[in-house]
Amino acid sequence: MPKQQAVMKPSDEKVFDAVVYVIAAVIMIIVLYPLIYIVSASFSDPSKVLNGDVWLLPKGVNLDAYSNIIENDRIWTGYRNTIIYTVVGTIINVLMTLLAAYPLSRPDLPGRNAIMVLITLTMFFGGGLIPTYLLVKDLGMVNTMWALIVPGAIATYNLIVMRTYFQTSIPWELQEAAHMDGCSNWRLLISIILPLSKPILAVMVLFYAVGHWNSFFPALIYIREETLHPLQLVLREILMISQSSMFEGGSVGLENQILLAETIKFAVIIISSLPVLIMYPFVQRHFVKGVMIGSIKG
Amino acid sequence: MESEQVTAALSLSQPKRGSGLLKKIAKRYDLYLMLLLPVAWYLIFHYGPLYGLQIAFKNFNPAKGIFGSPWEGFSHFERFFDSYYFWRLLWNTISINLFSLLIAFPIPILLALLVNEIKSKTYSKWLQNITYIPHFISVVVIVGILNSMLAPTGPINMLIEAFGGTPVRFLEQAGWFKTIFIGSNIWQSMGWQSIIYIAALSGVNPQLYEAAKMDGASRLRRIWHVSLPGIAPVIVILLILDIGHFMNVGFEKILLMQNNLNLESSDVISTFVYTTGILKGEYSYTAAIGLFNSVINLILLLLVNRFARKTSETSLW
Amino acid sequence: MRRHWGKKALTTMIVSGLILAGCSGNGDSEKENTPPASSESAVKTEGFPIVDEPIKLKMFTRIAPANGPFKEMPVFQDYEKMSNIQVEFIEAPTDGFAEKKNLLFASNELPDALYRSELNPLETIRYGTSGQLIPLEGLIDKYAPNLKALMEEYPEIRSAITTPEGHIYSIPGIVSTGSARTDKRWINKAWLEKLGLEEPKTTDELYNVLVAFRDGDPNGNGEKDEIPMSARKGAAGIPIANFFTGSFGLDLQFGYNINIEDGKVNIWSGDEKHKELLMYLNKLYTEKLLDQEIFSHTEAQYLAKQGTGNTGMFFDQTNNNFLPIQDQYVGIAPPAGPHGDQKQSTVAPVPRDFGAFAITSVNKYPEATMRWIDYFYSDEGSTLLRFGREGEHYELKDGIPYYTEEFLAIEGAQGKMTPYAGGGAPHLISDKVASFINPPQVQAAFEKLEPYMPEIRYAAPMFDEATAQQVNILRNDIDKYVDEQSTKFIVGALSFDKWEEFQSTLKKMNIEELEKIYQEAYDKMEK
Repeated sequence: MPKQQAVMKPSDEKVFDAVVYVIAAVIMIIVLYPLIYIVSASFSDPSKVLNGDVWLLPKGVNLDAYSNIIENDRIWTGYRNTIIYTVVGTIINVLMTLLAAYPLSRPDLPGRNAIMVLITLTMFFGGGLIPTYLLVKDLGMVNTMWALIVPGAIATYNLIVMRTYFQTSIPWELQEAAHMDGCSNWRLLISIILPLSKPILAVMVLFYAVGHWNSFFPALIYIREETLHPLQLVLREILMISQSSMFEGGSVGLENQILLAETIKFAVIIISSLPVLIMYPFVQRHFVKGVMIGSIKG
Repeated sequence: MESEQVTAALSLSQPKRGSGLLKKIAKRYDLYLMLLLPVAWYLIFHYGPLYGLQIAFKNFNPAKGIFGSPWEGFSHFERFFDSYYFWRLLWNTISINLFSLLIAFPIPILLALLVNEIKSKTYSKWLQNITYIPHFISVVVIVGILNSMLAPTGPINMLIEAFGGTPVRFLEQAGWFKTIFIGSNIWQSMGWQSIIYIAALSGVNPQLYEAAKMDGASRLRRIWHVSLPGIAPVIVILLILDIGHFMNVGFEKILLMQNNLNLESSDVISTFVYTTGILKGEYSYTAAIGLFNSVINLILLLLVNRFARKTSETSLW
Repeated sequence: MRRHWGKKALTTMIVSGLILAGCSGNGDSEKENTPPASSESAVKTEGFPIVDEPIKLKMFTRIAPANGPFKEMPVFQDYEKMSNIQVEFIEAPTDGFAEKKNLLFASNELPDALYRSELNPLETIRYGTSGQLIPLEGLIDKYAPNLKALMEEYPEIRSAITTPEGHIYSIPGIVSTGSARTDKRWINKAWLEKLGLEEPKTTDELYNVLVAFRDGDPNGNGEKDEIPMSARKGAAGIPIANFFTGSFGLDLQFGYNINIEDGKVNIWSGDEKHKELLMYLNKLYTEKLLDQEIFSHTEAQYLAKQGTGNTGMFFDQTNNNFLPIQDQYVGIAPPAGPHGDQKQSTVAPVPRDFGAFAITSVNKYPEATMRWIDYFYSDEGSTLLRFGREGEHYELKDGIPYYTEEFLAIEGAQGKMTPYAGGGAPHLISDKVASFINPPQVQAAFEKLEPYMPEIRYAAPMFDEATAQQVNILRNDIDKYVDEQSTKFIVGALSFDKWEEFQSTLKKMNIEELEKIYQEAYDKMEK
C-alpha cells in the first residue's frame, strides 16, 4: 500500500473519491424519492393520494391496503405458485442456457457460427401466438406449470450474454491446458469452467428468477385454473379495477373498490417485490466471490 | 432426435473437407451432446411454430385455421404503408430508439464503472441495491408516479414556481413526451442493466489494475485503459443486441402515457399494433407489421454485427 | 470458405426445422364439427324444469375483478335446480379475455356456449359463417318467448343483431330502462344556491354559471380551487364533446358521429356544426371552466373528483360515486344551443351489450340452451340474476326488489353475488330490476332528460364480412384523426384557421366512402 501512495498524489486520490461518493449519493436520492413515495402512498388514505396531497410522508395513515391484501387468499395461493414456478423454472433455465452457451463459446467447435445464426434468428422471427398455443396444447401442457416453464426455457439474450462471458473472461489457454491433461469436455465444464463462472451464474439466476417472478403473459394465455395462477396475474386483476371505466355503474361499493385499488397497488408492489429484494443481496455476494476468484486465479 | 438430424446435417454438408473436419467433430462429440437438448428445444419451440408467419400474407380467420385461411398477398403491408400515420409512426419509433441509444445506453455502463470505483463495500452495495429496485415496479405504477410528480400542482411544478417560472403541463405536450419517457426509462432500468457490466468488471484481472497503478496511471486513466477495455466485448454485444431491437418500443408504458395531446410524438408502431391490431383481433395485420419490424431489425443487426466484426474482435458470430 | 460452409449448414437446418414444424403443426381446426344431435323431443317449450333428465353444459365466460366464481353465485345454483341444466363455467379474467376467446376458436376447443362473451360484430359474422357459431333465429322463434317478445316490442334489436344474410349468431344484453342507457348531467345545487343562480337552460347560461363557479368561491375556502366542470377521459372518443352534441344539432346514431335526417345518413365530422361545438368547448377550456386534466386524468381520479363535492358539474349514469354527498347535486336537462337545438344525444341503444351470448356447433342441446338463457330476459329471471334470493339478498317493496341493508353493508358482497357486476351479462335490464341503479335521485335526473331523448336509437349496423373489414380500415384512420384534432382544437393547441385543412384531410381519408356504406346499411334496414 505505501508503495502505491508514493506513486499517486494522495490529494488527487481523495478528490476523485469525493467526486465518486457525491455522484453516487445524488443518484441514490433521485432513485429513492419515488420509492419513498410508493411506500408513503401505500400507508395513506386513498383519496389523499389521488388528490396529490401525498408527496413525501404518508397522509391520513391507513392500513386498509395491507389488511385487504393479507386477507386475500388468492394472493397467498399466487405467492406459493410463483415461488414454485420461479424455483423450478430458474433451475431449468440456467441448466439449458449453460448447456447451450458453453459449447457455443468454444472457438474450436465446428458449426458453432451456424448454430449461433440459427439461434439469433429466433429473436426476430416467431410464429406468433396461435401456432405456439397449438404446440403447447398438443404437448399437453395447457393448464399445467410446464406451459410457463418449457416454452421459455432459454432466453436468447441471456444465452448470448453468458456465451460472451465464457469467451472473454475465461482464458482459452486454461481450457487448452486442461485438454492436454486429458480432461473431457464435461469434466472441463463442471470442474473448471463452472467454478470460474460464479458471477455470470449469479447474474443468470437473478435475471431468470426475476423474469419468472414478474411474468404474467404465459399464465394469462395458458392457465385457466385459478388455483394455478401466479402472483402477477392476481395483482394485475387488482390493478385492472383502478383502470377500468365501465358504462354500467351500479355495482355496490365499486367506487370504494376503485379508490382502494389505487392504494392497494402501492402495497401490492411492495409485498410482491419483497422476496426478490431479499434475494438480491445473497446473489450479490457471489459477485464479490467472483472478484476474489479472479484475484486467486491471477 | 432433432439434434441428431442437425449434427448429421452439419457433417453431411461438408463432405469434401474430408476426414480432418470429421475428426474434429468426432473428437468434440461431447460438446454436441451438450448442445443436443438446447438445439432440439430451439427447433421445436421456435422453428416449429414458424409456419404461423404465413398469416401476414393471408386473411387469417381463427375459425378456418392458419392453413385454411385464404391468401391475401401483400395487402396487409400495403395497408400499413398507406396508412395516414405511417410516417409519423416510423419517425417516432426511430427517434425514441435513437435517443435511447445515445443517452440511455451509456448510463448503466457509467453506473457500473462508478460502482467499481467505490472503495467502501457497504456504500457500493447500497448504491447497487437501491438503483435496481425500480426495475420491479410495474409500469402502471411508474406512470402513476409520473402523473403525480409532473402534475400542474405536483412537486416539480412547485419547484418551478418557487423559482419564478410558470407551471408546465408536461404530460399534455408533445414536446415533452420523449424526454419524460426516456428519462423515466433510465431511472427504472439503469441499475438493473448495470448488473451485467458489474459482473463483467468483476471478471477483469486485478493484476492489470496493479500494473497500471505501478505505472502511475491516474484513476480516470485506469478506468479508461483497464476497466473499459475489460468490459468492451460485453458492451459491444449488448449494443448489437440493442440495435437489433431498434424497431421495438414497449407499448404498455407508452399506451398509459398517451393522450390526444401528445399523440404527435407518442404514437409509435407498437402502440399502433396494439390498438388497431391486437385489440380488434386483426391477427394478419398485426403479423404483417410485426414482420416488417423484424426484417428491419434483422438487417440492422446484420449490418452492426458485420461492422463490429471488422472493427473489433467481438461479434455475435 | 468457412462462411460458405456455415450458410449451407444453416439452410439445411432451417429446412429440417421447417419439416419438423410441419409435423407438429397439424393440430389445426381440421377436425369435423360434430353436428348437433337432435334432442328436440326432450326439451319442453314452456315451464320448468327445462329438461326432465339433467344435462350438462360448458360455457366460456368472462369474470370481472369484482366477481367471485360463478358456481358460488345464488343465481346459478338456484337456476340449476329449477331447470335441471347444470352449467360448468370456464372462467377467464377480463384481462386477457379477448386473447383467450380468440384462441378458443383458433384451436377449435369450443365450449357449448359463450356467456358474457363481448363478441364484436366482425367476430360474430366470422365465426357464424365458418360454422363455429350456430344461427339462432329459429331457436329464438320456438324456445325464447321472452326474447321474442322483446324483439317485437323493440324492432331495433332485430336489426342490430341480424346479419345481411338474415342470421342471428349472438344475443345482446338488452336495456329497456331508459335511465340505464344515458349519463345524467349532475350539477352542484349547493353551489347554485349559494351563488343565487338558476339551473342553466342554454349553453350561454351554462357558460355564465361555470364562470360564477370559477370566480365566486362557492366552496368558501377563499381559494380558486373549484373545478367548474369535468368529465371522464374515455377509452375512445371525446366524452365531453359527445355530451354537448345534442345542443349543437348533432346526433350519435349507429354508435357513431351520424345524423339521420329524411332518410339521409350524414357523418358530421368536419361540418360547420361540429366546428361550433368545438369552439364552444375551446372557450370553456381556455377560460379554465373545463377541468384542465380532462384529457389526461384516470378513471379513478375522475371518480374521486365526483366524490369530493368540489366539482361544479359532471356526467355519470348513476349517483353511486357520490352517495355520501348526494344532496349537493341535482340532474339537469341538456342545455339549448345557439340555434335552439336541445337533445340528449349520448344514449345507448336498447340492445346495449352486443354479442353477450352465443351457442356453438358442438352444443348437443341448442334448444335447451336457448330456453336456459331466455329466462334471463324475463323480469323474474333478471331479478334472480341481479338480486339473488328473496330475504337473503333482497326484499320486495311494491313488487320491486331492493337489496337489503344488511347485504349492502358487506363490502364487495354484491359483485360476488351477481354476474351483472362488471357489465356485459346477457339479460334484460327493465324498470322492474333497476332499483339500485335507478334510485329516486337518478330517476328525477332522468326525467329531466327524457323529453330530449331521440325517438329511436340505432345500434351499430351489421355488415357482411368484407364490408365490416372495410369499415374497420376506414374508421381506424378517420376516428383517430378526428379525436386527436378535436382535442387539439378544444385545448387551443390547434387554431380554428386550420379547420379547412381538417376537412380536406378527412376527405382524403375517404370519409365519403364511409358515409356511403352507412347509407346503404340504413337503406337496407328501412326496407
